[in-house]
Amino acid sequence: MKRPGRVRVLALSALAALLGAAAAPATVRVQGSTTVNPVVVEAAAALTRETGIRILVDTAGGSSGGIAALADGRAEVAMSSRPVSADDRKRYPRTRFEPVAIGVDALALVVSRDLWEGGVRSLDREAAAALYEGRVSNWRQLGGPDRRVVFFNKEPGRGTWEVFAGWLYGDAAAAPLVSLPEVGSNEEARSKVASTPGAITQLSAAWADGQRVFALALRGAGGAPISPDAEAVAAGRYPLARRLWLITDGPARGEAARLLEFVLGPRGQELVRRHGYLPLAAGGAREAP
Amino acid sequence: MRGRRDPLLWWSGAATLLAAGFGLSMLALFAVESLPVWRQEGLGFLAGSRWFYRGGEFGALPMIYGTVAAAAVALAVAAPLGLGAALFTAEVLPASWRMAVKLPVELLAGVPSVVYGLLGLLLLRDWVYRLLRPFDPLSGDTLLTAGLLLAVMILPTVMTLADDALRGVPASQRRAARGLGLTGAEAAWGVSLPRALPGLAAALLLGLGRALGETIAVFLVVGRQDNQLPERLLSLAPLARPGQTLTSKLGGAETFIAWGDPLHWGAICGLGLVLLALVVGLTLWSGRLLEARAGRA
Amino acid sequence: MRRALDRGFRVATAVCAAGALVTLATIAGAILWRGLPALDWGFLVEATGERLGTGGVRYQTLGTLLLVVTALAVSAPVAVGLALAQTVYLPRGTARRRLRLGLYALNGVPSILFGVFGLIVFVRLFGWGKSWLAGGLVLGVMIVPTLTVALVERIEALPRKYLAAAAGLGLTRGQVVRSVVLPQSRGGLISGALLGLARAAGETAPILFTAAVFAGATLPEGIRESPVLALPYHVFVLAQDSFDPAAGSQLWGAAFVLLGLVFAASLLALPARLASAEEARHG
Repeated sequence: MKRPGRVRVLALSALAALLGAAAAPATVRVQGSTTVNPVVVEAAAALTRETGIRILVDTAGGSSGGIAALADGRAEVAMSSRPVSADDRKRYPRTRFEPVAIGVDALALVVSRDLWEGGVRSLDREAAAALYEGRVSNWRQLGGPDRRVVFFNKEPGRGTWEVFAGWLYGDAAAAPLVSLPEVGSNEEARSKVASTPGAITQLSAAWADGQRVFALALRGAGGAPISPDAEAVAAGRYPLARRLWLITDGPARGEAARLLEFVLGPRGQELVRRHGYLPLAAGGAREAP
Repeated sequence: MRGRRDPLLWWSGAATLLAAGFGLSMLALFAVESLPVWRQEGLGFLAGSRWFYRGGEFGALPMIYGTVAAAAVALAVAAPLGLGAALFTAEVLPASWRMAVKLPVELLAGVPSVVYGLLGLLLLRDWVYRLLRPFDPLSGDTLLTAGLLLAVMILPTVMTLADDALRGVPASQRRAARGLGLTGAEAAWGVSLPRALPGLAAALLLGLGRALGETIAVFLVVGRQDNQLPERLLSLAPLARPGQTLTSKLGGAETFIAWGDPLHWGAICGLGLVLLALVVGLTLWSGRLLEARAGRA
Repeated sequence: MRRALDRGFRVATAVCAAGALVTLATIAGAILWRGLPALDWGFLVEATGERLGTGGVRYQTLGTLLLVVTALAVSAPVAVGLALAQTVYLPRGTARRRLRLGLYALNGVPSILFGVFGLIVFVRLFGWGKSWLAGGLVLGVMIVPTLTVALVERIEALPRKYLAAAAGLGLTRGQVVRSVVLPQSRGGLISGALLGLARAAGETAPILFTAAVFAGATLPEGIRESPVLALPYHVFVLAQDSFDPAAGSQLWGAAFVLLGLVFAASLLALPARLASAEEARHG
């Protein structure tokens, strides 16, 4: 009578597996921006090492992907390099977005080496819009070398793109519809610009190394060009400074709260600084609802 | 003895139903999830030449074009090269060398697409940029780059299947042809090739199917620029420009963010449905062709 | 004239073969050249470091192995059933043709569509979130045709004399299958499984939406919310950052480990496949 016995054991173990599966382990799922990612990955690793909390980090979809995952219940924390917008709240009405700023970053227009050495060092807002809309197709028109403009556009879902579009057109939703070659992550943007002559993209200034890709200074209306260095950003003179966010659905609870706590604490802020962003002056800054 | 039920028959039947059920459910799922876009645009979705998700415009034509163009380039390069190489290994090469050639080719057929994508990024992109210099390209991310990368990916498959097909022609027929005084080339052309035609067609169609459905490698090098269509019907100009394929769009960020908007998600699934229909349709059609031919042979 | 054509034919096809082989050799060479320096035993067994580009690929490798084993466990029973249907149980003619076409069609489905299917059904509908099981299931379905075809080839290559002898002894169909067909075709299942393993290990698109994350996962606990790290996804993400040399060395190391896995599986499958071909010719 061995066979019935074996079947019973198999059935019981299958049942046990299913029951075990019903109780998901306590995990913090973090998803979103590739700008915020390096800080969070290191913070998560340190936190896991010290407390054993499981923290899963992924960057698929960028800032909008993170916000979508948060709203969808697929993540506890969203990383975003742009604030939560009215459009987000309309799209996901059931989600109570609670953004917490963890640092400040300078968004820059970043160009390839041949352009930098060819004299392209700064842009004003009109020139940036002209480049984006394709009205300027050769760098010669802007006083640079005779070379086609290759604008690698950050995908519209990316936080970097939204901040850039907001700067050019007041509101990202008002940005004209253009078709440009697209890049997703910060890593990809940087790689493509570094390897393509005449290239420009939107990218966090901290990611420009000054050897292969270069961050341009931005000119205000008739004003002097302002480079995106820490001092100008801290003093508020650089026009495209933006805060970096960790967002939860409702106030952060449990392990997610511990992650936020860590990032906002001295060690987390040191990580922020080490990755080239600006730490917050004091504590966290909550966005007005 | 006849009364005994055969449990394996039930198992076999269950497996067949499971497989068939899966196939149908995949088709049904994409059809159902994409309903919003069909309701909104009808068949205009397929002919629409503008895709701006922020503006609620969804047209699949540029991506269908990109998919077909890249695959066409792939086949145009891999077919002659692969068939020629297979003719060499099956008809000219002495049998003792066969393993030495077949083994590396079969191994390379198994190389993951992400590795091909990586090599495409690092090597092919620059090469294509230099090649296209006279045409003043934007960068090395073009439909041509994607097509060439696909060609390299399907080359081992085409070679190996074509070689199998040619080898399938019985040696006796080749010997008879040679015995009649035909040269090697004539025997190959007149005897082996016609008889191996179904298998050769299968090799090409299988390669084509893979080229149409490949995502990761294409995603990395195609440029991902929407709304790229040729100005004139048979113009080759878009090959030198960045483009977008059905697979590169599906593998991109929009699939992650589209869920909140039913129309956007419907459009994404609509792309999936089109891709599914395209590849499965091609596969079934080629299968029917081969069955018919085999029936006649 | 005819001799000239013949020579031309030889030369032309030799050129094609050379061109093809050179292309493929370049690829192999590029992989070796970049990958070997990054590789040492520590790389395989270390976990990825906290700083980008440091450490090894321990959990990526384990994750890939888990996904692949799951995929095989899922697809093997189905493949056996389908193979038996194709060779024994379905009536000859239309039914078998339809099954073969269906397998052909399933084999051609782009892998990204399996990924989206898994996203809709497992991640969202079943509420599993990203899960190793979701990845394993979609990979399993994807490789069913690979296993089935290998098994069918093996069964069809079985010498007629075995089946004739079994029938002569008065065995029922079921008994013939159980005592002759299945045991004799084990090699086909193994070679099919190895080929399926090679294919499943290298696929990125199906696990992109269903099972893989880039950081933080080690070994899964339970089914829900249990993603894994995986070699192809790791390579995919790092590939987009060809700028950072630190990432570069880890990138190539990971690609190399993946290739090693795939090649090992393909090579192991080879003897069994050659044996089938031989038996088919002589049996």
